[in-house]
Amino acid sequence: MALEVSGQIIAGKTGQILVREKAGGEIEIGDLLVAEEDGGYVVLQAYELLYGSQVPQLVRELLAGMKLEGMGADLDFLEPQLRNYVIAQIKAVLWVSKDNELKIPKTLPRFFSTIRHVSEKDLHFLTKPENPVYLGKVRSGSKVLDVDVFVNGRDMLTHHVLVPATTGRGKSNLVKVMLWSVLAQEGLGILVLDPHDEYYGRHGKGLKDHSAAKQSLLYYSTNAIPGTNTLVINLESIRPSHFQGIVEFTDAQQDAISMYFNRFKDKWIESIVRGTDVGTAVAPRTLEVLKRKFDNVLGVYLDEDNNVQCRSGVFSDTAGSATTKEITKALENGKKVIIDTSRLLDEAELLIGSIISSGIFHRYQVYKSEGTLEEKPVISVVIEEAPRVLGADVLKERGDNIYSTIAREGRKFRVGLVAITQLVSLIPRVILANMNTKIILGNELTTERQAVMESAAQDLSSDDRTIASLDKGEAIVSSNFTKFAVPIQIPLFEKYIEDSLQPKEKNKTVFVG
Amino acid sequence: MFKFAHLGDCHIGANRDPVLEKLELAAFRKAMDLCVQEKVDFVIIAGDLFHANLPDMYVANEAVKKMKEVKDADIPIYVIYGSHDYSPNGTSIIDILDSTGLIEKIVKGEDIDGKLKLEVFTDPKTKAKLVGISGRKAGLEKNFFEILDREHLEKEQGFKIFAFHSAISELKPDFLAQMESIPVSLLPKGFDYYASGHVHRRNESGFPGHERIVFPGALFAGYSRDLEDNAKGEKRGFYIVSFDDKVEEVKFHEVSVCEFEYFEYDVSNKNSMQAKKDLLEKLGRIEAEDKIVVVKIRGELSGGKTSEISSSEIKELLKENGALEAVINRFGLTSKEYVSIKAMGEDIPTIENRLLRENIGAVKVSIEELKGDKGAKLALDLLKILRQEQKLNEAKKDYVERVQKHAINTLGLEDEV
Repeated sequence: MALEVSGQIIAGKTGQILVREKAGGEIEIGDLLVAEEDGGYVVLQAYELLYGSQVPQLVRELLAGMKLEGMGADLDFLEPQLRNYVIAQIKAVLWVSKDNELKIPKTLPRFFSTIRHVSEKDLHFLTKPENPVYLGKVRSGSKVLDVDVFVNGRDMLTHHVLVPATTGRGKSNLVKVMLWSVLAQEGLGILVLDPHDEYYGRHGKGLKDHSAAKQSLLYYSTNAIPGTNTLVINLESIRPSHFQGIVEFTDAQQDAISMYFNRFKDKWIESIVRGTDVGTAVAPRTLEVLKRKFDNVLGVYLDEDNNVQCRSGVFSDTAGSATTKEITKALENGKKVIIDTSRLLDEAELLIGSIISSGIFHRYQVYKSEGTLEEKPVISVVIEEAPRVLGADVLKERGDNIYSTIAREGRKFRVGLVAITQLVSLIPRVILANMNTKIILGNELTTERQAVMESAAQDLSSDDRTIASLDKGEAIVSSNFTKFAVPIQIPLFEKYIEDSLQPKEKNKTVFVG
Repeated sequence: MFKFAHLGDCHIGANRDPVLEKLELAAFRKAMDLCVQEKVDFVIIAGDLFHANLPDMYVANEAVKKMKEVKDADIPIYVIYGSHDYSPNGTSIIDILDSTGLIEKIVKGEDIDGKLKLEVFTDPKTKAKLVGISGRKAGLEKNFFEILDREHLEKEQGFKIFAFHSAISELKPDFLAQMESIPVSLLPKGFDYYASGHVHRRNESGFPGHERIVFPGALFAGYSRDLEDNAKGEKRGFYIVSFDDKVEEVKFHEVSVCEFEYFEYDVSNKNSMQAKKDLLEKLGRIEAEDKIVVVKIRGELSGGKTSEISSSEIKELLKENGALEAVINRFGLTSKEYVSIKAMGEDIPTIENRLLRENIGAVKVSIEELKGDKGAKLALDLLKILRQEQKLNEAKKDYVERVQKHAINTLGLEDEV
């Protein structure tokens, strides 16, 4: 991109600077622009475009009418580029001093300054941090600059990430790119609850194709691919607290659960499913309802031979004893764990996430009290359709759950959430405010854009149109850990990994029987 | 209708104590006798028949004599290596017995175009088809499972048994969560019976496509943890499976050779003298006659040394009270006065893992990568590399170069060398 003048500041106020675009200046909504100043430069961003004209409205209407009605096809304005132009509304987003000090601008750029499009050089401060999570390349309008955007994963993930977007805007592509970039990093443990089975790459390219996948990636599915783990959790691994905020129980049912847990310990679910008699302490009707609930949620029931069975195969009384421990340990070793929940009901998926997340959260609480937390990898839980557990109505009806607890308190214990959602407005403000990184993809719903903008790390109040106009793969990263709300172009996952894919070496194995 | 017996983890030779050694052999004899009595058509031993690849000759001889009786009753014994009696160069006692025809090793295969093609053995009498993958140290057999040509085995018709000696990730007990294991998805599908070994706790389970995966557990005890489990009520034995063209019945046969007693004692809030006195008093009151008594002492002493609670004194007391043998577990015993290095685990890798993680802090280094969990992991990775064996057709020079290269890569020193 040439460092040509694209326009000149002609008026405005803080947050709303007016620029007359130079003819052919090609300023787009979302464009990053630069105004040179004494001692540095200001990075600005366009958020609205208007027509400007020196020709009175009536004359323009008349001229258009004459051309349209065939009365003067050759008629035109005298020096049209001078008389008609585009006015861009822009805002200053960052002040960069000559000695590379970065500040939020508190003054207006010099009046009548010329502005130009940003160049790669202007963004030299976007460097690769430690524990980098790759998000994409800087985008100025629709032009992609050769500047990579990374965020420090340890900072970003513990302070929670929100990925708001409507369907088809590239949410899962973004998460795949992020996960790929950190797959080999041992300082970041990530649990992905994958309700669409789209991250591992069962049917195409996915995280399984990463060169570190064998050491660093675990995949659990009820329909395991050879070499991957079958998702099965032993009923004895489940505690009553895991249902907290996920499944609704009446007071009588809660009391019955406590009674069974106190009496039968690890075998409390099995005892309920078997209808083990505990005398008058639990009403038969309550017990029957609980049996039905466990059948509905866990798919657990008694067969004709009096054996405990599970319809989905996910819960078992004979298998899966080590599953949660293995997953927890893997996360603590900085591995990435994908759980394919595509064949599970919502509640079962959330319950599995709750079992694992609770385990991790409580272990990390202990590490903090022991003073060893700093040595541990940070852990993040990726959850889709986040309002299922973070929605205001859900929290009101069912109370807090482990996900909302992590959202509120996880930062202290280095456990975070990556919440993906189409409906940000359903999540309470207090939780949104805790999500310090928002990777905003396109969203056509005004209420949703409003909810995102109101809780963003930077002032996005004038960016409604910019967000609305984001195309597939385009995003804005608003984060406490970026210098400004960075517009990015997320690469297509398949394209992004192209260079990393290497043909696997085939060594002949000497088989010893 | 045919029948076969499925045993695993006999660990003959594991117990050096004469009483336990006698019981270990008694359990094996009893199991073999039951096989003959029940007129099984063949026996499968899914690894770790012996505790070492070259076991003590006395116990080996006793076991061989018993197996000879089974063989003479026209009952073939099919085996695979376990992680203990495995030998990379075919010089295990298993190979010697295989050469004599006393037992038959059912593991044979080769790498064809990157895929491990296993040979299918057919039992001449029942026509049951047997395939196996032996266990190796530190779960190295996983590499074989990863390149296994499953499709070829799945196409095989008839009554099929797959024998292996590996923990299955989905079936491990929770205390073995860190044990090397393979996911069930690496097993070929559609076998009628998966005869497993390696995990010393009994488990019968199944998954769609792998309907019947059975771990008989240890026959007596390969480790002191097994003795503790026995004392807590774990039933030891093996399976007899009835079948024709499919499995009709899977029945566990208990093999009990003695009674056990379990006693657990928490020393917390007592000093060594108080704890010792109290413990001996309590142990004096338990029914020890003709039993193996397992004593577990745990907790942190408020003062004194852990060695002041003497195992020999406890053993002496229990033997005076008629105990066959006393097994003392003191791994959970510590004192505020000092901290000992504990080494408790199922196998060497588990112990290595634990020791490295627990004690890495004692090594003073300035390089960040060598500290904490990172350092422990690096050490473990390095150990794994140094444990690699020379391949059969590999020159020593190539072997040394290969190990060096892997070690340098693991240490991240490619640019330095």
